Order: sequence, then structure tokens, then C-alpha cells
Amino acid sequence: MKRLLIIALCALSWQSCTVVKEYEKVNLNDPDMKLSARAIERFETNFQVYREGASGANGGKTGGGCGCN
Amino acid sequence: MCPFAVAFAQDSTSTYKKRVLESAEVDFLTSYYTQDGDNAAVTGGIGTEKLTDVTPTMVISMPLNADDVLTIDAGISAYTSASSSNLDPFDASGASRNGGEDDDDFQQGENRNAATNPTGSPWIASTGASRSDVWGSVSLSYEHSSDDRNTIWGAHGSVATEFDYFSTGFGGSFSKLFNEKNTEFTIKGQIYLDQWNPRYPTELDSYLESGGNLYTGFFAGVTIWTEAGTPIHPVGDNRWSPVGGFNLIQDKARNSYSVSLSFSQILGKNAQISLFMDLVQQQGWLGNPMQRVYFKDRPNFYIGNPDGIPFYTDPSNTETFQLADDFERLPRKRFKTPIGLRFNYYLNETFVLRTYYRYYFDDWGMTSHTANIELPIKLSDRFTVYPMYRYYTQTAIDYFAPFESHLSTETYYTSDFDLSDYQANQFGLGLTYTDIFTKFHLWKLGLKSIDLRFNHYTRNTGLNANIVSGGFKFILD
Repeated sequence: MKRLLIIALCALSWQSCTVVKEYEKVNLNDPDMKLSARAIERFETNFQVYREGASGANGGKTGGGCGCN
Repeated sequence: MCPFAVAFAQDSTSTYKKRVLESAEVDFLTSYYTQDGDNAAVTGGIGTEKLTDVTPTMVISMPLNADDVLTIDAGISAYTSASSSNLDPFDASGASRNGGEDDDDFQQGENRNAATNPTGSPWIASTGASRSDVWGSVSLSYEHSSDDRNTIWGAHGSVATEFDYFSTGFGGSFSKLFNEKNTEFTIKGQIYLDQWNPRYPTELDSYLESGGNLYTGFFAGVTIWTEAGTPIHPVGDNRWSPVGGFNLIQDKARNSYSVSLSFSQILGKNAQISLFMDLVQQQGWLGNPMQRVYFKDRPNFYIGNPDGIPFYTDPSNTETFQLADDFERLPRKRFKTPIGLRFNYYLNETFVLRTYYRYYFDDWGMTSHTANIELPIKLSDRFTVYPMYRYYTQTAIDYFAPFESHLSTETYYTSDFDLSDYQANQFGLGLTYTDIFTKFHLWKLGLKSIDLRFNHYTRNTGLNANIVSGGFKFILD
């Protein structure tokens, strides 16, 4: 938990020294750089929600909607 | 510069607005999933977990204007499950019939109904109605972006249904981008108001239906055996009955309320990071009424062939089924807290590194770690291949114990191995084809990309699974 907070603080502090302009975002705009799961990953996430006790924190569904764990 | 030209340029700038979504997109997605294992929850933590599932799905995203996008997501999941079929393991032999002989002259040692006596086993699939089902879902979501694209509002609603469950969900989200779109903060709220249409293990349901009379209904003419292989008398003291205080579900609701926070930050021209946190409160009937529990401090009783009793937990048992003591019971509330971190790094024109980590804990005593890594390799302008690996581990919830390990004095109990202590590994490979010019057409739809993935999942409880997924993205001309 502490480590995550430290990483979060580092990330927040980073913004002050690194501002990437729109025209510099060519690499960041690569489809593989998206900060979300791929659309096709939904099926794996779905079976994992049924087969595993933990879920969420991936920008998608957090629980409910199925008789799963 | 001519003042008119400046005025014209300013006017042009103020009226031009890039659309959030240029044209409608249609995704056809599907997957085929298979699994097998030896710890079926429906049969108390032992038995076949064989399952197959096919999931055709369609997602349509439509720009309503320059700022608004409407998305419709509809799909089904058609599955066949050996363990679910064993909700009524005796179905193949016609045990669910009514009538039969009400034999008041029953004698110890007599097999009253040998010719028609039902058989079943946790290791083979029954032909019962619960053997297969279709889960269907439709969701609608709407997003509005501000003129400067730095503020995004969203709302969504969904319904989902399957034979024993109905779900209604809705929610909203708010995103704010700042620092020249280098930083994004999102808050999201979701509510699911779900309802069980409970199905119970046949023997438990039938016990209540017959008022505990083992001469009538389902039990009429059926021999029940002790662990020693001798038949019991239906009215004797040592007969089978569910655990004391046995009752069915009264409140069938299962509601989930969640708040999700996410923070994204560009770290440089080649790196970005996201942090996610969900706070999820679930309440209502959080167990699954299909899942049997057997207590170690109660005598065992069986239906079927008594010769199978000594090796009941072995897959070679194909004709003997143990009658349940109860179905799983879990607390009516659960608070979950998953915290995730995603970090992506553009290594060079060929390689990208995608990573994800999640820590999870809840008030049922479970903690979990998930780590995921993907390495997309660009083979050409159009083809990308990406190997991937995922590691998952969890501790058991406080209420888990395997087959015949719980005590009947406990308040909460489950033998569902999905809630046990285990580690899982998942290996896979994905392939993406992209055509930005959408040369291939199907009617008015131009093919933009094709995604294919295969993953193999294995966990140290013995469960193995494979999943193949495919997706086709089209853009409306």
C-alpha cells in the first residue's frame, strides 16, 4: 500500500517537470500504448471474474451483473 | 497581416471542432472457452468442472454529433457445464418422477426399487435442465465531451439475464483532463440491483417440498444408503436430513455499489502510467444456492450404487451421489478494495511494453496479487504480435474449507475452490492486423482491424482452461 502511494506521489510530481505537447505524443498515441485493457480482453476478464475471488481496478466493471464472485 | 485575414482565421478556428468519433464503429467480438478440473462447487468441492462457453458479442459506437457518442453493447454467453448439470445429478435416470411405491413394510437391507433406482455422480454430467444456459446482456452508454475536450461526462445502463439471475445496472462518470492533456482524473459510480431466481440442489429442494417425508415426492421408492452401504429406513432416527435450521433464500436481492477512481499521467514522450482504485460494497445473498456443502461432523448418506461409496471422491465413481447437508452460506455484506497500476513504455518502433499490477483485499479475509505483462512486437505496419503472461494469487476467504471439512456449527461455509487459496498462471499470444485505409469492405463497413488471442490458464488446484478470442472492427463509410 505504501509503495503504491509513493508511486502515485512520484507520478503527480512528475507532471510539473514533464509536459508532453500534442505534437510530441506520436509514440503515446500508438494503439498498444493505451492505458486500458484491449477490447478483446473482456472475455478473459469475464472468466477471471467467475473463477477468481478478486476483481476490479482495471477501469472496467467492478462487481455485480452476474452470479459470480 | 491583413486584419480581415486575421479575423477570418480566428473565426475559422473557433468554428472548427474535431469530432470525438469521426464515424460509427462496429465491433464483432467472440470467444470460445473450455475448462476442466476436479473441484466443482455444485457438488461440494469435488467433481468435474468441465465447461464450455461461446460468446458472440456486438458493440456499436455512434457519433451523435461532434461531442456526443452513444455505444450499444449486446452479447450472449452460451455455456454447457457439467457441474451445473449436477444441480440434479439424478436426472438421467428419471429420479425426478413423482409417485412410486410408498412402502410402509420397508425392511432393513431391502433394495426396494433396484430396477429404477436413480444413480448420479459428481464426476459425470447429468442431462438436467441446468446443464446449459444462455446469459444475455445489453448495455447503453453515452458520453459527452466539452468543446476543449478536457471534460467528459458519461452515463450508462445495462440489463443482463440468465436462468437463475437478473441484473439491472446503471452509473455515471466524470473525467477531467488538464496539464495539456498530460493528466487525467476520472471518478465513476456504478450500482447493480441484481436478483436471484434461485435454483437449489434437487435433494434439498425436494426435502422441503415433501415436508421432510422420505416416502413421497422425489424420494418415493428411492433407496438411501449409509456410508457403510446399508439402506436407511425413511422414518428412522438415523435417516438423512439437511442440517438443522435448513431454509431457502428469503431475500433474493444482491446489490453492488461502487465508486471508482482513476488517475493517468504522461511521464514522458514514451511512457505513461495509470492508477485505479475501486471501493465496492456488495450486499444481499452473496452465496450461490446451487453449491452444496458437506459437513464432517454429520453422517453421510448416498443415492445410487452403494459399491461406489468407498471411493466416492475418486473419478472412477460414476454411479453414487452423496446427499447434501446444506448449500453454501456466506455473510450478507462484502467490502472489496482493488488497487491497480498500469504502466506502458514505448521501447522503440518495434517493441512496446505493457504492464499491470493489482493488489486486492476484502473483509472476508481474502488478499490477492495480480501481475500482467505484454510485449507487443510490430512485425510490419499492419501486423503486431504480442506474447503475454499473467500471474495471479489469492488467499482463501475465512469461510472456505474443502469437501467434508466444515463443521455444522459454523455460521458461514463454502467449498467453492474459486474462493480458496491458490496460484494461477496464464500464458498467451495475440495477433493484431490493422488497416488504417479500411480497404476491405463488407457492405458499407470498412475493416479497420482484426484481433486474435489465445490464452492457457492453469492453477495449482488442478483447474485448467483455454480461451480463444477474436474481434473484427469495422468503420461505417
